[in-house]
Amino acid sequence: MNEAVELIIPVQSDLVVLARLTAATVASRAGFDVEEVEDLRLAVDELCVSVVNGSGSGRLNLTFHSAEGSVEVICVLDGPFTSPDQAENGYGERDLSVRILDALVDEHGEEMGDSRRRVWLRKRSLRHQGS
Amino acid sequence: MTPSARNPAAVRETFTAFAESRDEQLRNKLVEEHLGLAHQLARRFANRGEAYDDLVQVASMGLVKSVDRFDADRGVEFSTFATRTIIGELKRHFRDKGWAIRAPRRIQELYLALGPAIESLTQQLGRPPTVAEIAGTVDASEESVLEAMEAGQHYRTTSIDAPNRQDGTLSSRLGEDDAAYTGTEDRLLLALSLADLPERERTIINLRFVEGLTQSEIAARVGLSQMHVSRLLAASLAQLRSSFAQDS
Repeated sequence: MNEAVELIIPVQSDLVVLARLTAATVASRAGFDVEEVEDLRLAVDELCVSVVNGSGSGRLNLTFHSAEGSVEVICVLDGPFTSPDQAENGYGERDLSVRILDALVDEHGEEMGDSRRRVWLRKRSLRHQGS
Repeated sequence: MTPSARNPAAVRETFTAFAESRDEQLRNKLVEEHLGLAHQLARRFANRGEAYDDLVQVASMGLVKSVDRFDADRGVEFSTFATRTIIGELKRHFRDKGWAIRAPRRIQELYLALGPAIESLTQQLGRPPTVAEIAGTVDASEESVLEAMEAGQHYRTTSIDAPNRQDGTLSSRLGEDDAAYTGTEDRLLLALSLADLPERERTIINLRFVEGLTQSEIAARVGLSQMHVSRLLAASLAQLRSSFAQDS
């Protein structure tokens, strides 16, 4: 099974619910257990909210790629944004986001261009690891 | 609350000293130095209707557990380990408490059925269930289960007249017999049954249900695969259940 679901939403925090629901549905279809579905939902929330908070307008393009036991979520913001705060003591907003994603998913990353920000994450189901 | 500004090497050093001495003052110092992290994480979950102070308390409890369980030799930074533990505590808190008043009653009731279903399936299967397995147990579609799980993310303070997990309302349960008496009997019986388990299985049960570690954390701790831990847990629980059935 290999599937891709695309979702485009305006940059508005109250629409992040759509990303969360999509994440949960995709994770469930990929065979994640309930804890893992919950983790992915929280991670996608963190991913989207961190992008939405740093921008005033534009669109979020979300792509959910799934295969048996794994999900990858790519979130691209087309629109103006400000770079997230990274504190010297390691406790800025961005550091917290990184730490939360570290706790919830296997891999995550971020690329920033002039008017484009791309964040992504990958999570594998424990039951399917090594298979 | 100002978050800790100490560098990871200094934190690791304090943890190494704490691991050797288990000194109460060092423990307090480590907790105090990282309270900022607990506050930050509590704030992240604060837009879901729960009082911020309650969330800080839950997150702080998670922090204390993290300090007690952290093993500096495992090569993970404390802040990473603590974030995982605190998020786990916050997730559990939201799952165990209340539901969205805005959600339709059908979803509220389904949400309330999820907790016990997840609990019993986890015991039966020896791992957390999939959404499909839960849907089968509560006789609902996967979509409804996902909807109920999402609704469960937006909690509001629980009304005493709202339905609870015991098929009644909180107000209808006020003043009933103290369940702690039978709880005590069960605990005594459990202690006796646990004593019959081999030492390794006892350790695993303790790590899972007393210290609240996940199966993978236990696997790392005892040097087995997660699958093996899962099988041992399932077998031990089956043995405990059968001891209970015989004795009661």
